[in-house]
Amino acid sequence: MTERFIISGRLDGSLLPWIDGHARRIGVAVDFGPRSDSAMELRVDGPPALLDAMEMGCLLGPIDVWIEDIRREPV
Amino acid sequence: MSVTMQDHWYPVALASGLRRSARDTLLLGRAIRVALDDGGAPVVTAEGRALPVQVKFGHVWTTLGVPAGDVFDIPEADQPGRRLVEVGSVKVRCSPLRAVENFLDIAHFPFVHTDVLGSEPHTEVERYEVEIRDDVDEVWATKVKFFQPQAARSAQGGITTEYMYRVPGPTCSVLYKTCPPRPGEWDVITLFVQPLTETTCEVWPWMALFDDDSTMTEMIHFQQLIFLQDRSILENQLPALLPLDPGREIPTRADMLSIAYRRWLKRHGYTFGAQLVAA
Repeated sequence: MTERFIISGRLDGSLLPWIDGHARRIGVAVDFGPRSDSAMELRVDGPPALLDAMEMGCLLGPIDVWIEDIRREPV
Repeated sequence: MSVTMQDHWYPVALASGLRRSARDTLLLGRAIRVALDDGGAPVVTAEGRALPVQVKFGHVWTTLGVPAGDVFDIPEADQPGRRLVEVGSVKVRCSPLRAVENFLDIAHFPFVHTDVLGSEPHTEVERYEVEIRDDVDEVWATKVKFFQPQAARSAQGGITTEYMYRVPGPTCSVLYKTCPPRPGEWDVITLFVQPLTETTCEVWPWMALFDDDSTMTEMIHFQQLIFLQDRSILENQLPALLPLDPGREIPTRADMLSIAYRRWLKRHGYTFGAQLVAA
């Protein structure tokens, strides 16, 4: 299953390498899409339960980043 | 002005347990003394300075800072017919935030409180709703449902129990659960945590229950049994501090409430007892 994660918040800082590492730890594939300091898109591919786990992990994220919201859309 | 952890109220004693001899303890790493004045009213001091004091839910509460208001309310506690249960205190070698987070962890029931609050194969946590209520600045989880073999001291046989969880302060949590003898009402079970240091705390459970059958001792013993089962888990959790970056942890959908609690702590900078960067 593939979904688009639209992440908004205060995203400057160490978010990209953190997402990359968390995705590898969980076992989902991630492609980075367009991004700014306040929004970014990801394509996340994996089983539904692991997509949920990816969302949960990202909602917390690294300490120097604040994720306000994650919207998920099917691709 | 931003509110810090020091500005919150914390339980430091049972009002009914105070004696003329002072109780020396810690709050957020600082030495405090809880005593009675000549008129029998509780007083709390830190290095000789008198701290604000309130008595609520049978406990003495104090703060090291400047609180925005009174100790939070639990309106159900004033309902006629409820029995107010002062469970006492348990010292735990764990982060005070870990103690609260464990209380919020629904998925551990069948594995830690086997055949009481949960049982196999009923291990699945159904989807529930979580929100941070900005008007009161509290974390809430609602529509939590779980099968429990013995949900309360008064329960006869297994039932699907519905829960609501509420976090009104960084180290306090209130659980509302289906009340077996009185459908339509909620039993109230709280976990008030006194943060001693970043890795030790004193836990003061308190309950407001509709239960006309059990003795007070039986209700206290039931809750103590539950918490002592938790304590062995809490004291062996690694890392000892509550991570605000998931690190090696892989939270799942069932952990939504824990994630919301950690996000709330992170947003406010409530980090006494927290690990900020993954090890």
